[in-house]
Amino acid sequence: MIGDSELSREFWEAGKSATCPIYDMHGHMGAWTAIYFPRANVDAMVGTMDECGVRMLVFSHHMALTAPDIANSLGIQAVRRYPDRLRAYCVVNPNYPERLEADLATFEAHRDVYVGFKFLSDYHGIALTDERCRPAWEYANERELLVLVHTWGGSPLDGPVVVRQIAERYPRLKLFLGHSCHGEWDKAVTLARDFPNIYLELTALFDDRGILEKFVNEAGSDRMLFGTDLPWFDPHQAVGALLSAHIGDEDRHNICHRNAERLLAPFIGRVGI
Amino acid sequence: MQFFDCNAFFGSPMQRLLAPAATANDLLAEMDFCGVEKALVWHIAQHDASAVVGNQLLAEGIRTSPRLMGCWTVLPNQARELPPPRVFFAQMKDARVGALRIFPNSHRFLANAVTMSDWFEPMVTQRIPLFVSVRRGMEWRDIYALLADFPGLVCVICDHGCWGMDRLFRPLLERYPNVYVDTAQYLLDGGLEALVSDYGASRILFGSGFPESYHGGMMLALKHARIPDEAKTAIASRNLERILMETEL
Repeated sequence: MIGDSELSREFWEAGKSATCPIYDMHGHMGAWTAIYFPRANVDAMVGTMDECGVRMLVFSHHMALTAPDIANSLGIQAVRRYPDRLRAYCVVNPNYPERLEADLATFEAHRDVYVGFKFLSDYHGIALTDERCRPAWEYANERELLVLVHTWGGSPLDGPVVVRQIAERYPRLKLFLGHSCHGEWDKAVTLARDFPNIYLELTALFDDRGILEKFVNEAGSDRMLFGTDLPWFDPHQAVGALLSAHIGDEDRHNICHRNAERLLAPFIGRVGI
Repeated sequence: MQFFDCNAFFGSPMQRLLAPAATANDLLAEMDFCGVEKALVWHIAQHDASAVVGNQLLAEGIRTSPRLMGCWTVLPNQARELPPPRVFFAQMKDARVGALRIFPNSHRFLANAVTMSDWFEPMVTQRIPLFVSVRRGMEWRDIYALLADFPGLVCVICDHGCWGMDRLFRPLLERYPNVYVDTAQYLLDGGLEALVSDYGASRILFGSGFPESYHGGMMLALKHARIPDEAKTAIASRNLERILMETEL
């Protein structure tokens, strides 16, 4: 068994926990050109969620990120197929402002699907602060939506400097730093301390030993969100890392579900156990 | 299910880690916390400082720890930086070192027949396993070139990356019967199941990537993978035990 806590025992024996459901706040779906995925369709992904005790996945469909001709349509279909298990971020690809305009015009019609927006600036090649992104930021800020941004240390498009500018401009939305400015950990902590609407999202960090303890100690577990990039990373791997880290079960509860339950409540009604 | 970790190191890196394991005892304490029984380990100085110095530090570190077996580093021997292979292999046996690592990029050599025949030819004959890390010191093209020259080499490809490298390592599994992959950084959802389904469980070794990765990540993934219990046991420990048992030093 990994560690010696109550949650360790539960996850080790059953692979999931009745008292600690998981809300995965950073998922995807479908094919990605650079990788082989054994389980990338919606049914297989929900199967993984069931096995790992993931109650809800909030995702952006890979086709919405990479195929403007398809855009957000497949994500909408998936959420409506599993309305109790899935929510989506409406993907913003600022290379196509006309697409964004259309998505904003129909956003209200998809309130059963969307919780906010997703930006992937390093891949789309346009900074978060670019004028073409502004309509989405303003829309999200006015409505206090959840916004997941891919962030990476050193990036001029979505690194800590750019994130700070966004956080200063838009204080009402909830800003999830996907990958937590990967590599620039101290700056990610500082951002979380400086802005109460910023959360540190943990996708790809579960493979970096020591970061979980650092964030818990320096930013607080009430500012951290579970994420796996599913179908990229096995949620059990992430949970195993959480159990290996020298943090408490209360921190694990915050990271796995309490913070997400609080953030998602306005969008999906009463959630949690 | 017992875990025998094929991929862990201790020692202080030149660039400080977030959570280093400076000594063998630090490593053992984390193994105890996470329930890892044994490990095949190396010392970071073998990569960062000097193969010769690192090998010595490793031997000293594991001397009193029977749960730890060593993995030394070799270099091209045209400059006689290490003893001749026959002598070196005898030293390995005395120091409880059961496998070797190379870091061609960092140590500036080409791992091919021109450079490394005096090492790799006897390693093939004596089934001495070679561990290579994609994260540290070896690129895919070089691994392909190495195996083209030494198709019988027992070669464990470690740290192959969290971006699901199946398209790169599956051709090697199909072509070379003595190639293995470890689980460190193999985070792909459903990856273990797909690999076992296509190639069987005998080609996968549990590796943690400690101290850069948490022990428990791939432990929990393996524990709850949708594969038979025998396959889990093989990956967790049996495959590595078999490989080391077949080694003739």
